[in-house]
Parts: sequence; structure tokens; C-alpha cells
Amino acid sequence: MTERPVIEVENVSKHYRLSGGARSLKAMALELLRGGRDVKTLRALDDVSFCVYPGETLGIIGSNGAGKSTLLSLLTGTIYPTSGRVKTHGQISSLLELGAGFHPDLSGRENVFLYGAIMGLSHRQMQDRFDAIVEFAGLHEFIDQPVKHYSSGMYVRLGFAVAVEVNPQILLIDEVLAVGDSAFQKKCLDKMQEFRDQRKTLLIISHDLQTIQRVSDRILVLDRGKIVGLGKPSEMVASYDGLNRKRNSEVFQREWGSGRVRITNVEFLNDAGETADTFEWGGGLNAVIHYQAQEPTENPVFGFSISDDNARVVHGSNTQIEGITIPRIEGEGRLQLRLDDLSMAQGVYLFSFSVHSADHTENYHRVDNAFPIAIACDKSFEGYTYMPSSWRTEP
Amino acid sequence: MLKSLSQIWLRRELLWILVARNIKIRYKNSVLGFFWSLLSPLLLILIYACFAAILRFNEGRPSYLQFLVIGIIVWQFLSMCLNDSLYAIMGSSNLVKKTAFPRMILPLAMVLANLANFMLTWIVLFLYLLISGMHFQYLLLLPVVLLAQTALCLGLALCLSACNVFFRDTEHILGVGTLAWFFMTPIFYPTQMQLKFLPESVAWVAFLNPMTGIMRAYRLLLMSGDLHGVAGELAVIPVPTSFLWISAAVCVAVLGIGFAVFQKLQFRFGDEL
Repeated sequence: MTERPVIEVENVSKHYRLSGGARSLKAMALELLRGGRDVKTLRALDDVSFCVYPGETLGIIGSNGAGKSTLLSLLTGTIYPTSGRVKTHGQISSLLELGAGFHPDLSGRENVFLYGAIMGLSHRQMQDRFDAIVEFAGLHEFIDQPVKHYSSGMYVRLGFAVAVEVNPQILLIDEVLAVGDSAFQKKCLDKMQEFRDQRKTLLIISHDLQTIQRVSDRILVLDRGKIVGLGKPSEMVASYDGLNRKRNSEVFQREWGSGRVRITNVEFLNDAGETADTFEWGGGLNAVIHYQAQEPTENPVFGFSISDDNARVVHGSNTQIEGITIPRIEGEGRLQLRLDDLSMAQGVYLFSFSVHSADHTENYHRVDNAFPIAIACDKSFEGYTYMPSSWRTEP
Repeated sequence: MLKSLSQIWLRRELLWILVARNIKIRYKNSVLGFFWSLLSPLLLILIYACFAAILRFNEGRPSYLQFLVIGIIVWQFLSMCLNDSLYAIMGSSNLVKKTAFPRMILPLAMVLANLANFMLTWIVLFLYLLISGMHFQYLLLLPVVLLAQTALCLGLALCLSACNVFFRDTEHILGVGTLAWFFMTPIFYPTQMQLKFLPESVAWVAFLNPMTGIMRAYRLLLMSGDLHGVAGELAVIPVPTSFLWISAAVCVAVLGIGFAVFQKLQFRFGDEL
């Protein structure tokens, strides 16, 4: 794209001090006495760079604490980066929280004008939009009541209505689609579509992967303050899913062994030969095991096992069982495992790999439950695994 | 600095709304509403009049009550600004956390709302002064003094509102500080009382307290006849009018410092709140 981006984020980092930030004079004095500060920092965002172009809808996904909200706050301008630069062109309306900044003692009407003024709109401009706001929020008879008497649904509706009706160039939405009833959610989605049709820029944070995949042009995946992916929605959602799976499996992950031979990496390829983390039920899987032998080793045995997401073993085997002899390995090398027919039920599975001596006296290296994959299956059957079965009626 | 000012000017609409909000909220849930702005100075004058009469504060000086009332009402503007400034930012943490606008608008709106309130009390004060006798000769200079005091209030409000975000101690320091400041300012005693303790060559030091100069200026402009009703040995102590410039300079300096402090700290508001 040759167009000038409306949002430019260059090498932005945001660090928070966790402790040591003197909250009071007493704390400060104590710190001085102790000599030196014990400052721990949380890297909410770490060297993040990306651009958003006019008319684009960018979805932002990531687990809790990945830095999504920090990023939107930086773009809104309520916090400032520790280093790096954030540039935005055009008016931004942000829904960091619906109805944020409403004063409970003021009426809905007064709050609408207050919000408009915060967004930099004149009284006249707001007056023109006022009816549309009330209409959208559906608050005709309550608009002159103090908002403290509003139900939470009314509050949220007014918040959304006023934020979209100020008609910004850029709209930032932080996980607000989760609120409100389904009718209102539909209204919000329609409004967002309208925005996209007007070639306005949207940034959306959501945990609702389905919705975000549908509405975004591109998706940004954040993990622990870093960008781990930016691109096509379907790919990004899949890779984020994989990331989550990996995170979930970490509890079960273990690794030990003498280290004479080490399993350095395992690649999973689908039938088309592409790296993948999701496989079709009934299809094949190739696992390329990269190893490194510290010293020449005779007759190593390589093994694998597949466990479900609770680390219960579904299947396991090794080269010895399969009657394959590897005479000698030295230095780096690769070994391929092929599974022709994945017959497990839909779900997440964890692969373990091991390499040990032929007489089982020395375990060189074993990596348990470190490699998650997902099986996608549209055949419904019970249990862990499918057994080919046939039926016939007896006369 | 110019950039911040132009940004505030661009959002003047927001400023007015916030000023109106501050005024409105002060009288929320009260039956008399903004009439309290008139009623409270009226009651204040009455109370001081009663007690001044009963306790014979005035020692036969007829203008003492006038002197005292001006002092108290002028002081109230400052002390209300100081108290409100603690929560100018903190009280709007939702706005600060979730929306972007020049932060300086918040303390500015607070001071302007208090100024509006102060102007209402002037209605009562003028009525009182008309009855008890005043002179109108220098009345045109009144806005200048008002401006100096507003500058002082704003400077301090900028400092305090920003500091209270980071140090909750500000509140406690302010409580004690305001009390000490009250007694160090010639409010119920004449300026000459302070000068009595200072060698004549450094008498100007007393005017480093900007409120000393401001009090003096208001009284010079408003009070008729024998100024401040000083008598006896105090009457011979000279108070050069040129000293008022010292106080004016301090007011401007405080505004400058407040502005600088606020500019520096505002970038971290979002992290702290």
C-alpha cells in the first residue's frame, strides 16, 4: 500500500515499575535508607512496530496481559510510551470502556455534550448529532435523568452511541462487544460495518476469535508485549490458537536425559508438506525430528508418544518396536516420523519424543508433552480414537 | 507553553462544560442551589459582625470588621482552590485514564469554577461595603488584583493536583500548610504587625508571601478612610506600595512553576491512576 498510514507505531515500548515506585514520602524515605531502589519493571509492550492504513480494520488478539489494552491506551493518548513513537492522523474516538468519563450526577444529555467536548466537537456539532445518539441508544424518555439512575445496559448503550456518533476517523474498541444483549451487539456490529464501508479505520480488541476473524482485514497477535504475528485473519487466529495450546501444555512439559543425544527441534508437516499445527482427522502427519549427537552413538532408539490435553497417553511407539535399527549417529541429523492415519477424536494432543540406548540403560534425552497439535474432525464418534468399523444386518 | 495554551484554546468548549459541571456539582442535592454562593458570605459577615462586637476585636476601630471580612472572603477563594485542587485530577481519574484531552483543563476548570463562585460572593461583599462605606476611586484596578490572585491559585492548583496523583501525602501537608499560611498572612491583623518584627531594610521580605500583597492590595482599593484602622505604634510603620510588585512577581513565578511541574508530571498520570 502506498497510502499514508493513519497510525504509525515505531519501536514502542511501555514499561511499568512494579515495586520501588515511591507511593508516599514514607516509602521514599525508607527506600533511601535501604540504599538504592529495588525496581522491577513489567514490559507491557516491548519494541512494537506496525502501521495501520486508512479504511483498514485491524483486530488485536492475545491472552490476558499480552499488552492489548496498553497498546490502545497508547494510541488514545492516555498514557505515553517509555520509548519509541506513536503517530496518529485523524480524530480518534476510543471505547476503552463504554461510558468512561460519564459523571453520575449529570444527566444523559449533559454527559453526551461533555463527551463531545472531550472529543473536540463544538456544541453546535453535537447538537446536530444529539438526536441520532438518543435514537441509537434508545433512551428517549431517560435522556434528562442523571446517569446514576441508568441501568448498566442503558449506560453502555449511551456510551457506545456517543462514541460512534462523534464520527471519528479512527475508532478504537476494547472488548466492548461482550457487553449488552444480543440485539445491541448486532446493532454494534452493524455500526462497525457502516464504519468500514465509509473507509474509516477500526482497531478492535476481542477475545471472541470468531467475530474478530470475520470483521478484521488484518489481525495483530500480541504475546507478552511482543508482536508474534500480523497478517491474514484466519492464519493469525490459527497461530494464536496454537500459541494458546502451547501455553496450556506447558504445565505438562518435562525434559530430562543424559544429553548424549539431544532432540533440538521437531517440525510438524501436513500432507502438503507445509508446517502446520492443525491436522485433519484421517489425514497424515510428518514429524521431522532434529537431533544432535554430542558424541558418536551406536544403535540409538527414537520414540514418540501422543497424549491428550490432560497428558494421558493415547499412543506411543519407538524405532525398536517398529523393528528399525539406526546403526550409528554423529553430529546433527534429522529423522522423520510419519503417521498415516490420524484417528484420534477432535481436540488438542501433545507429542512427546525420546531417544535412548537400545538396552534402555541410558536415557539420552526425553521431551514430554512439549509439542501440541490440534486434530480437526467432523466425524462424531465417542471416545479417544476411531476404530474402523462396519455394520451389517443379520437376516 | 504556547502549544499547551493553544491546545487548551481548541478545547475551550470542554473547559466551559467542565467549569459548569464543577459549579453544578458543588450544589447538587441542595435545595437552595447556587444561592449558597450568596448566602454563605452573607452569613459569614453576620457571624464575624456578631463576634467582633461581642468580643470587642475592633478596639474602637470602626473599619476593623470591613478589614476582617475582606480578608476572610479573599482567603476563602484561595483555600477553596487549594482544597479542590487535590481532586482536580484524581476525581476525574476515569476521564484521564480513558480519554485524551489537555490535562491542564481539569485544574483550570476547577479554578475558574471557584473564581465564578468568588465573583458571586463579591455581590454580597459589595453590598456590604456600600452600606459600611467604601471608596470607588481605584475600583478599576480591582481586576488586576483578581488576576494576580487567580494566577497564584492556578499555579498552586497545577502543582497540588499533579503531586497528589503521585503522593497522597500532599493532602496532609496541605492541611497543615494552609493553616500556617493563614496565620502568616495579615488577615485578622494588620500588615504592620508583621513589619514590626522585621528590620526596615528587609521589610519587603514579608511580601514574598504573595497573599500579604494581595490582601493589602484589595484593602487599599476597597477600604475607605483611615486604612486598616491601625492605631498607636503600628500607625507609624510605613508600608511602601511598591512592595506589592514583589507579591505580584511571586504570583507570576508560582504560576510558571506550577505550569512546569504539571507539564512534567502529566505524562505519567495515565500510569499512576
